[in-house]
Amino acid sequence: MKIFSESHKTVFVVDHCPYMAESCRQHVEFDMLVKNRTQGIIPLAPISKSLWTCSVESSMEYCRIMYDIFPFRKLVNFIVSDSGAHVLNSWTQEDQNLQELMAALAAVGPPNPRADPECCSILHGLVAAVETLCKITEYQHEARTLLMENAERVGNRGRIICITNAKSDSHVRMLEDCVQETIHEHNKLAANSDHLMQIQKCELVLIHTYPVGEDSLVSDRSKKELSPVLTSEVHSVRAGRHLATKLNILVQQHFDLASTTITNIPMKPTFSVFDQEEQHANTSANYDVELLHHKDAHVDFLKSGDTHLGGSSREGSFKETITLKWCTPRTNNIELHYCTGAYRISPVDVNSRPSSCLTNFLLNGRSVLLEQPRKSGSKVISHMLSSHGGEIFLHVLSSSRSILEDPPSISEGCGGRVTDYRITVVPLASVIVKESLTEEDVLNCQKTIYNLVDMERKNDPLPISTVGTRGKGPKRDEQYRIMWNELETLVRAHINNSEKHQRVLECLMACRSKPPEEEERKKRGRKREDKEDKSEKAVKDYEQEKTWQDLERLKSILERGKEELAEAEIIKDSPDSPEPPNKKPLVEMDETPPVEKSKGPVSLLTLWSNRINTANSRKHQEFAGRLNSVNNRAELYQHLKEENGMETTENGKASRQ
Amino acid sequence: MQADSKEEPPKQHNSLDFLDTRQCFQLSLCILIGNIGLIFIMPTVVVMDVSLSMTRPVSVEGSEEYQRKHLAAHGLTMLFEHMATNYKLEFTALVVFSSLWELMVPFTRDYNTLQEALSNMDDYDKTCLESALVGVCNIVQQEWGGAIPCQVVLVTDGCLGIGRGSLRHSLATHNQRSESNRFPLPFPFPSKLYIMCMANLEELQSTDSLDCLERLIDLNNGEGQIFTIDGPLCLKNVQSMFGKLIDLAYTPFHAVLKCGHLTADVQVFPRPEPFVVDEEIDPIPKVINTEGDEVGTGITDDNEDENSANQIAGKIPNFCVLLHGSLKVEGMVAIVQLGPEWHGMLYSQADSKKKSNLMMSLFEPGPEPLPWLGKMGQLGPISDAKENPYGEDDNKSPFPLQPKNKRSYAQNVTVWIKPSGLQTDVQKILRNARKLPEKTQTFYKELNRLRKAALAFGFLDLLKGVADMLERECTLLPDTAHPDAAFQLTHAAQQLKLASTGTSEYAGYDHNITPLQTDFSGSSTERM
Repeated sequence: MKIFSESHKTVFVVDHCPYMAESCRQHVEFDMLVKNRTQGIIPLAPISKSLWTCSVESSMEYCRIMYDIFPFRKLVNFIVSDSGAHVLNSWTQEDQNLQELMAALAAVGPPNPRADPECCSILHGLVAAVETLCKITEYQHEARTLLMENAERVGNRGRIICITNAKSDSHVRMLEDCVQETIHEHNKLAANSDHLMQIQKCELVLIHTYPVGEDSLVSDRSKKELSPVLTSEVHSVRAGRHLATKLNILVQQHFDLASTTITNIPMKPTFSVFDQEEQHANTSANYDVELLHHKDAHVDFLKSGDTHLGGSSREGSFKETITLKWCTPRTNNIELHYCTGAYRISPVDVNSRPSSCLTNFLLNGRSVLLEQPRKSGSKVISHMLSSHGGEIFLHVLSSSRSILEDPPSISEGCGGRVTDYRITVVPLASVIVKESLTEEDVLNCQKTIYNLVDMERKNDPLPISTVGTRGKGPKRDEQYRIMWNELETLVRAHINNSEKHQRVLECLMACRSKPPEEEERKKRGRKREDKEDKSEKAVKDYEQEKTWQDLERLKSILERGKEELAEAEIIKDSPDSPEPPNKKPLVEMDETPPVEKSKGPVSLLTLWSNRINTANSRKHQEFAGRLNSVNNRAELYQHLKEENGMETTENGKASRQ
Repeated sequence: MQADSKEEPPKQHNSLDFLDTRQCFQLSLCILIGNIGLIFIMPTVVVMDVSLSMTRPVSVEGSEEYQRKHLAAHGLTMLFEHMATNYKLEFTALVVFSSLWELMVPFTRDYNTLQEALSNMDDYDKTCLESALVGVCNIVQQEWGGAIPCQVVLVTDGCLGIGRGSLRHSLATHNQRSESNRFPLPFPFPSKLYIMCMANLEELQSTDSLDCLERLIDLNNGEGQIFTIDGPLCLKNVQSMFGKLIDLAYTPFHAVLKCGHLTADVQVFPRPEPFVVDEEIDPIPKVINTEGDEVGTGITDDNEDENSANQIAGKIPNFCVLLHGSLKVEGMVAIVQLGPEWHGMLYSQADSKKKSNLMMSLFEPGPEPLPWLGKMGQLGPISDAKENPYGEDDNKSPFPLQPKNKRSYAQNVTVWIKPSGLQTDVQKILRNARKLPEKTQTFYKELNRLRKAALAFGFLDLLKGVADMLERECTLLPDTAHPDAAFQLTHAAQQLKLASTGTSEYAGYDHNITPLQTDFSGSSTERM
């Protein structure tokens, strides 16, 4: 694919000379008499479009289809030519829409039949077209800037579509020679300019159009290379709908489009007709709608040569269309997994009733599956129509043998047997991910960990969701093992954030690393617990043992120089300690508000306060009691118990809080 | 794309309370899971030459006599064994050919069947490559259509046949083909053609065989490669030749899937091929970033280690399983970054109710592969947004993005190429004209729409025609008609006539004809 191929830049040059005001001699009945009402009234005479009107509406139709399917990177510059060239828009993306062009065309108005034909020429427009092709587009500029020293890779090609009324074949030759010469000159100019680019390749498409019923003075000629830079082709086309058909074929050729006709569209029950009054009595009929899109959406047909699908379009033009059958939309979207591409569409007959019914249906969020008619009668869904954000896309669904046949289950591989990945550990999980922790946060984390230790000791079930698990799920022991593993992974993932994160990990590791004998004892302890009807003694024994071992481990941490903090981890609100005299904490913690986590990035204030607090905390030693407190409550006379080795460690109990 | 599922993966998954993804949703890598995941498959067709020349003996000192076909079978055995281990999910077919061709084994994952077929091959007449390649086209298209990439492994001895049907003859007549007897190359599906020659380079260069085979690759748009035996023809050298093929085309693609601190080693099937976005401005193919290849190879080893290793692996939590489960439960997809400005999506793919797996689809490289999601680079965690783009109650969504300019089918454009288009628009005006003054607003709206289009198309006769028509309607008004109707019709007709003169004063595109203020229109009280 080349972004900067000939179809990146299209210049329309439309003749605005006096003879274009001539009638195309194809009549349009616009005064359609309605039954029951107009007896005895003679309808108004039909009118006919001028050559100019035919040229303009056909080129607008070309642009409409192009903009629908390529809203970006395919640009049009519109020029009309009479006594001079009028450039109606620029290459900028803002100028690339129908409304802009229509407004500019209205300002130009139809050609003046009384103007002096000697002053007018299509040549002005052709020269301006070459000039405009040398002008760099936003996309070319952007690509050149991006490629820096390889900027010369950005190509400059384009196409000139010239609609005129030529006098003869030699007149056509003269126009070609003029374009050829102008390119030569402008390329010389562009070579010395930073704002212009030389034209590498230009495709000239000359369309000679003449009133219906006249003989053409110009003969058709297929594409011919006039020079390494310029190719030219000549189309001699009657005006009126013939011209429109020609431009429709050209837009398909130029932009690699293909046509799909949706057939069997049921319009009665499913559609609300946009204008009730227009609804005819006979609405039960099935309608056809023809869509254009990039031809890649037909990749499966093109390559497999499924010719029986093709039929000629209803309009009898030469182009092929592939017919697909409407399928009643289903809610099951399993088919979409085989989607291999999505392509923008444009209806050929955009404001016909069936087209607008179909597009409105899709724009309202519904989807349509499309079925390939097969000789065998088997049903093959090959495409889907659906809109995303106001744009309709034709989705290609793979219709041959599925490459996803018999895939293995995820449960057969790594991690597939682990039945539960969801354990809620709040608030540790939400706190640990912060970049910096406050002392309060660390305490909170530690409390969470102790809480879990406590739960495990009591053999409490973990608050696990059973969604997605099969059977009973793992044993409780296993659940706890998994939970500890995950918790460790989570905490480890953040230890590099700060020293406080490190402390949380240390606490966690201290609680986790149980020697095997202890595990054994613990199990026995549990059994006893069950057997002996929760014998107080056993529990106490066990608790003391456990506490003792925890203490031993934590002492080593103490020795690593984090005395106060490590103590905080072991000093617990014991049931044996006396009630504090005052329910209120003696010292009000001067906390920094915890960082608002769920609401966007950390504010500057918070960042600053954290910084100040960290700096301050280095300047003085924190009151040990506050550091060691549990729920802002410090225990007194701890050393006595420690010395006696009698202390029981437990997390702050609910009953004491 | 799934139309119904929400496609905003950076949104937090509530199920992942523990592994709070809000804080770590910056996927930086590619996926498919180790030995669990597949999922794109690239079928292989092995095309084996069974002409008489393949029975030419190979002189191997000391040992029993080998023929070239034995060497070929040896090499293919090696390939099949490799695939049975590493590419269990690949489909492979075996075709043999001489002057005719035969599908020995249709596409299968059963490598034993393929292996057996190798040992049951008879010898036939002469080499006729073109018909065999036509056969390959048919087989692949019937089975997979035209969109699935296929690898074709052609095993031959470099004797390309004689006379009609020989490769030389095929190539000589290549330019004289009609649509009906088109040469089978390039294959009508994305393909790689690997030619395994049971001959060494010197032997092939002594005739024009090598040139002919190179032509074949050229004809396949350069997609493929020729392999020849280095040194004397023996089992060892055949092995090394097939080893090169395996390295080139059948090495597992390992990568690391990363999501914040969570990672998983994954293997992707088939290997995503380098992708050229624009051969002119960026000729260097884009390849997927694969961090941590070294970790990946460990997975293959586990694989060979039979059940025990698998069982252990099964019990170790894997991020892919977590991700898969979450996506499945929530009906979501996750966006994965494959490289700079290259993305794909991960989702749970199920073929039945029981089996499901993590699947990755690649988008076309570029900043905006899905226009309705906008620039991929601008997607991010909700917590980075100033306010929750989904609203506090999850009651809104920033997606899908609407295009700046509506498409023609969404904006009520005016097209009069067919007379019916014009007639419909005129009829609409007329219908409303008959219901004046109730339909005043609609009447003028339609009138102005027609006026605008007529001015743009320079179709001034139409304006005059419609003006005449409105004047006639005025004369046809029944006695019971509201008096305002006549005023409005006359006013509208007059305005259209003025516009049809084309004078800039009245024919301005942005000018709109407004209803005449009359004493009858009750609402408009402030009048001169």
